[in-house]
Amino acid sequence: MDKILESIPGKFKWFDAVYVKGRSTPVSFRNNRFHSLSESENSGFGVRINRDSRTGFSYTNDSQRVEGAVQRAYSMAPYGDPENFTLPSDTQLKFEPYDPAIESFSVKDEIEAAEEFISSMQKEFPGISMDMGISASNGVMRLVNSEGVDLSYRDSYYSVSVSCVLVMDDGVRIDTWEGKSGLCPVDYSEFREKLSDKIRRAQIQEKISTGSYPVILPPQAFGRLAGIIASGLNGVSVWKGVSPFVGKTGEKLFSDSFTLADDPLFEGSPYRIPFDAEGVNVSRKELVSKGVLRGVITDLKYAERLGTEPTGNASRGYSSLPSPSFTAVTVEPGNMSFKDMIAGVERGIVAEQFIGLGQSNTLTGDFSANLDLAYLVENGEVKGRVKDCMMSGNIIDLLGGEVHFSSERERKGSAVMPYAIFPAVSITA
Amino acid sequence: MHDRFYEAAEKGRKLLESADCEFAEIRFSAGTGTIISLSGENVDSLSSGETVAGSVRVLKNGSWGFTTFNDVSSLERYFKSALTAASAVSPEEKSGVALSGPVTAEFRTESREPINNISIDEKFELIKGYNKILGSSPKIQTTRAIYRDVESRYHYMNSEGSSLTYDKMHCGISLTSVAKDGNIIQPFHESVSGYGGYEIARGRDELAEKVAKIAVDMLSAEPLEGGTYDVILDPRLSGVFIHEAFGHLSEADFIHENPRMKEQMALGREFGPAGFNVIDDGSMKGLSGYIPFDDEGVYPRKTYLIKDGILTGRLHSRETAHKMGEEVTGNGRAIGVSRQPIVRMTNTYIDNGTCSREDLFTSLDDGLYAVDVIGGQTNLEMFTFTAGYGYRIKNGRPGKMFRDVILSGNVFNTLKSIRMIGNDMEMFGGLGGCGKGGQSPLPVSYGGPHILVGNVLIGGRK
Repeated sequence: MDKILESIPGKFKWFDAVYVKGRSTPVSFRNNRFHSLSESENSGFGVRINRDSRTGFSYTNDSQRVEGAVQRAYSMAPYGDPENFTLPSDTQLKFEPYDPAIESFSVKDEIEAAEEFISSMQKEFPGISMDMGISASNGVMRLVNSEGVDLSYRDSYYSVSVSCVLVMDDGVRIDTWEGKSGLCPVDYSEFREKLSDKIRRAQIQEKISTGSYPVILPPQAFGRLAGIIASGLNGVSVWKGVSPFVGKTGEKLFSDSFTLADDPLFEGSPYRIPFDAEGVNVSRKELVSKGVLRGVITDLKYAERLGTEPTGNASRGYSSLPSPSFTAVTVEPGNMSFKDMIAGVERGIVAEQFIGLGQSNTLTGDFSANLDLAYLVENGEVKGRVKDCMMSGNIIDLLGGEVHFSSERERKGSAVMPYAIFPAVSITA
Repeated sequence: MHDRFYEAAEKGRKLLESADCEFAEIRFSAGTGTIISLSGENVDSLSSGETVAGSVRVLKNGSWGFTTFNDVSSLERYFKSALTAASAVSPEEKSGVALSGPVTAEFRTESREPINNISIDEKFELIKGYNKILGSSPKIQTTRAIYRDVESRYHYMNSEGSSLTYDKMHCGISLTSVAKDGNIIQPFHESVSGYGGYEIARGRDELAEKVAKIAVDMLSAEPLEGGTYDVILDPRLSGVFIHEAFGHLSEADFIHENPRMKEQMALGREFGPAGFNVIDDGSMKGLSGYIPFDDEGVYPRKTYLIKDGILTGRLHSRETAHKMGEEVTGNGRAIGVSRQPIVRMTNTYIDNGTCSREDLFTSLDDGLYAVDVIGGQTNLEMFTFTAGYGYRIKNGRPGKMFRDVILSGNVFNTLKSIRMIGNDMEMFGGLGGCGKGGQSPLPVSYGGPHILVGNVLIGGRK
């Protein structure tokens, strides 16, 4: 703090700086065998300075050159846009997203567990080729500002991902994966059954013709489509007028059953944060409540521009300016079980994985993707795989029509999602 | 910073000479970069900063240890922990590397206008000018104009005795206009980048004009109805097509330890029509995918992946080349020194055929002309790629404009549906790049001539 103050060459209105430091140990398995063990130690410093109401920014990851970064940020300020917001002074550190159990991470144990996992999968699928990544990391984030905030917190993160490839004699490829994360090492034994089930079914090929079908999207797949909605709920795209939700706050745009929130405090998630990257205190916010648009996420800059309260969604690495982003997109569950969802379908599709989703004009909610992994549902039962077809539609329209959500939810990365079923989605085969 | 860098390199050389392992390498980079990002009337960000990074990779008893750091003064400590990490396990099945002999050389990007000589003011005014053009129609809702340059020094050393340095200068712009009419929001985007100086970013007014025009034109384009179409791909799209539909499949790390994939990808297999040639060549200077050496210290080369329709080659890292008993190709690449090299493409293209552009159009009675690119993806069996827009072709003549043209196909069959190959090959690359194994974006370029492909599946609502 003193060092930053000393280095600022002239008058300023405010400044803030982040210092991040992290250490991680990724273990990697490729093609069914242990491949590499890595150790990574990195740190960095980023500073922004507001001078005559304009902000300059710079960064370095060389601890001996912090002064240079401060001076660069100062000299860049005249290029910035006018910004008149003030930085918070009441930042509270209520918890640390850290679990000391991360220290129990043992490379040897993880390697043994992974080897066991792979060989159990190989027993059932002799030709399978598996990659695994297991990683533990911990770090420190420190935020300092000219309003007297100087807080730091530790964070910890554990993740495991398993991906399986099975190539059939005719070149047909079954490629599927599961992943999980936590504040400390987690048990992932349930992947065995989940992956086996997906691969077993995928070996049976079913046919589907062009038409409109009921489609069930499991949490991971639905999360990707909900992400298109989430990006329209960002203060930046609303300010720029490229969000489909501009000027629609208070309107009912979606089905009653659709409630979407950002929840930076979601219990058990390693993505929890005590305050955002500008020091704004955070809480759960509903952006869509029972189909009605309530608001968008902002940082200090976009809250000022839009004339709203900051929502505590500033995110930044050391080498970038803060910008609004979701900490954890959550969609509220419904009251139907996944089992009942399937049971009610006469002929439809469960779409697990896509290729090329998000390469459409997502600003308007459009999507069109090849079904990388999808299953036919017939008379209330999940059958074999359907492939070589594309699913297209508009996610805003779909969520505005009939949609049901499951009572179960899963956290995939930071997103917490239920299963979703849409009664009619367009399939091109 | 550079003094400490040289000091570390000196230490590194000694560590490598005495290392007790099969193979070891040290990589360092130190660089500075500037980003100016404008949007509509606003300055989204303007920053300049610096980063320094180092990594050590060691192969011992058939397993890899890898450490990354930014405190280069503690190299000994990190070298030791890489050795320890590699010794943590003694696996039954071992990794190996193909050796390629020691090489020593110094490389430098040639530039007409070195970035260093250009003031922030000048860069700011340039991108401000493009941004103004991007917003030049009342139908344009917002714009995004990004200028980016990076100057860095990269040093690669390995236990074979290689020592390679590269003073790299990369510069580029990315231009987007977003047009809006009622509920229709239509973005269009173009980007150019390459190794060189400020000359790459300068003089792009026409490109900015094109971006603004197409974004506005696309407002009145309709979404294409789903179905199968005969399609002419423009050179940019034929480049992305070959990158997704075939390029990834030729990366040997998808093949080298998978017996079924080895069978599928046996050299000699027929993949496309006669006269169809696909090449990856990292030695094409100036292009985004140019590398003087790869991130394993191997020189790039021109690799024929498909020659006259027949599978003739694939892309290798040291590890995959060793495993398959084939020669290294200089395709072991990483997005930065803090990532491990994996098999990646460089500049990948379909070579010129014999048909003229006119021949292709005259032969198409009913089909689609797909132009420009939004992106692409593959799972090594199926692929998709998205055109910026397209025109319906009737009797060889382009008609109505369509948007949302998302094409899809099967990697083993689609290349056989190539009916005609043009002779107007062009190469493309931008500030974006390719993603694989969590490493994105890696600078690559891609290209080809106009090609005509039959029976392509295109997604869309009826």
